[in-house]
Amino acid sequence: MSLARHRTVLTAYAIALLLFAVGTLHSLDFAAPSQLKTMLVYASFIGIIGLGQTLCILTGGIDLSVPWTLTGAAVLTSVMTAEGRPLGVAIALVLALALVVGLLNGIGVAYAGVPPIIMTLGMNGALQGLLLVYTDGGISANPPQGLTDFVLGDTLGLPTQLWIWAAVIALGCALLSLTTFGRRLYAIGANRRAAELAGVRARRVLVAPYVISALGAAVTGLLVMGFTGQAFLTMGDPYLFSSAVAVAVGGASILGGSGHYAGTVAGALVLTLVASLLPLFSLGTAWLQIAYGLILLAAVYAAGLNVTRKKRGSPDA
Amino acid sequence: MSATTADPRIDGGGRPLQRLLRAAGRAGLAAWMPYLYVAVLGGAIWALQPALIDGPGAVDVRFSAVVPLALVAFGQTLVMFTRGIDLAVGGVISTATALLATRGADGATLWLLIAAVVALGGVAGLINGVAVAVTRLQPFIVTLATWSIFGGVALLILPQEGGASPPALSEALLGSVLGVPKAVWVVALLLALWGWLRHTRLITDLRAIGSDEQRARLIGVPIARRTIQAYVLSGLFAALAGVWIAAQTGSGSPTAGDPFILSSVAAVVLGGTSIFGGTGSAAASIVGAIAFLLIPDLIAALQLESFWSTFFQGALLIAAVTVSSIAAQLKRRRGAA
Repeated sequence: MSLARHRTVLTAYAIALLLFAVGTLHSLDFAAPSQLKTMLVYASFIGIIGLGQTLCILTGGIDLSVPWTLTGAAVLTSVMTAEGRPLGVAIALVLALALVVGLLNGIGVAYAGVPPIIMTLGMNGALQGLLLVYTDGGISANPPQGLTDFVLGDTLGLPTQLWIWAAVIALGCALLSLTTFGRRLYAIGANRRAAELAGVRARRVLVAPYVISALGAAVTGLLVMGFTGQAFLTMGDPYLFSSAVAVAVGGASILGGSGHYAGTVAGALVLTLVASLLPLFSLGTAWLQIAYGLILLAAVYAAGLNVTRKKRGSPDA
Repeated sequence: MSATTADPRIDGGGRPLQRLLRAAGRAGLAAWMPYLYVAVLGGAIWALQPALIDGPGAVDVRFSAVVPLALVAFGQTLVMFTRGIDLAVGGVISTATALLATRGADGATLWLLIAAVVALGGVAGLINGVAVAVTRLQPFIVTLATWSIFGGVALLILPQEGGASPPALSEALLGSVLGVPKAVWVVALLLALWGWLRHTRLITDLRAIGSDEQRARLIGVPIARRTIQAYVLSGLFAALAGVWIAAQTGSGSPTAGDPFILSSVAAVVLGGTSIFGGTGSAAASIVGAIAFLLIPDLIAALQLESFWSTFFQGALLIAAVTVSSIAAQLKRRRGAA
């Protein structure tokens, strides 16, 4: 199984390289350092939000509430700082709220036994409603200057944003590969009943992925707002698909139990490369959406071939 | 509080609650829940602002809004019988409205256009069904992918909200027949359709697949064929909903269908269909749809900002699904004990 895992992760990186080669063959500008930097920054947004999504999918779940968690974090921060609250306070408050969202999702899934897809779908709708009420359906506040400077700034010659992603990668890989928590996640994803019999408190462990996902979505929201210079109500929409597709491309089995954040990192690169390649062939956002869907189907199908189908019929539909 | 935690009855895993649920189950309360939702919500609105319930045109307006959701929820129910879920309805509805808003049509060509759009919905459902039944992938991930694909197709056809659906379409579907709004006829027709379908082999088989796929296979249920049929029907109904929305709004939108993912699942759950497959009724889902769409009116009657309804609709889905999940857990535990 470990070999299969490495193989799918490596395949994902190979696909990223191949796409990069296609882009470079089409135009040498594709490989220019500035272009590379931009692509990596875009990939980092998907990558950071993808950590939580990886953990959710590892356990056989999914988090569909990332779009409005992301938007909510950005919008609330910009409104609060525009009202004169210090940036630090606003961020702390937003992260605390994200924690609550993640806990609610996690408790609903782990303790009440709600199918993750329905729990997080409902949560997404509820958050959307709250945010629309809060902003009265529109938003005019600009993001705090401090955040914009931080995100757009460079540290040691590289965009600060990339260092943040590097930290998330280190954290995510360590979490999955080196900690007991990581092993428990795999155990639950592979066979929850067996994990419970082996003494894993599955319910308690199952809450964590949703908390991490909500926090990751909130952080991504802040970073995206800093990067694009604005917070708007549809900013989270693309991340529902992109985070799930990145995880799937990275080789995680949607049935749970296998996959790794290292794969999701490759998945984020693949998606960003696809998004940068399509315009070169004059294909717009509609085609990007179609491409995401096709890639998702292909990726889960390929992952399904690697994993035995023993777990079908588990109650977590 | 500390006294309650020491109580052995509470430590025993919420047995009083369990007993209450069992009693409710015996009384068939679950089957009456959607009607209860409608009665409570409708009663509250009627008490606050009677005109929203019995004012002139209120029935027409309400049922015009109910029709598309009732259609989508009908199909979603069939899919959820099999423990599946169809997220692609979002993309199918959007594509249908986009197509209708960009093709001028009149008379016979209009009906051809509608037939083509509905057939496309069937094809979309066929793709979902085959992908789910043959590749054995999880329904939610398959339909998440096809939602993205069909949504992209809608964007290709109609890059932004707008266009104009044929005026003849609105004329054909809106208004009244024999003094009764056509929307009411459509809902009545759907209920009649369910009355006939529920006794067919298809529904029995879908329920069998949902409650125990292994056993269903052993008793000779054609699993793949039935699963595909469920998704095809869901696609057909979603396209029909798109036709209705295009007639109603007179335009199209590449994202018109997205809200219907949450609302259709909510209508099914409120209707009492089990999210763990096997039981439920499309008629109850239609009642669930009516309850779901009473929320905006309740918000209006309470004179709250209209955006609150989005929140309460999401919250209601979470609440309803949590209750039914806990009930299912207790039932399973009871079965195991």
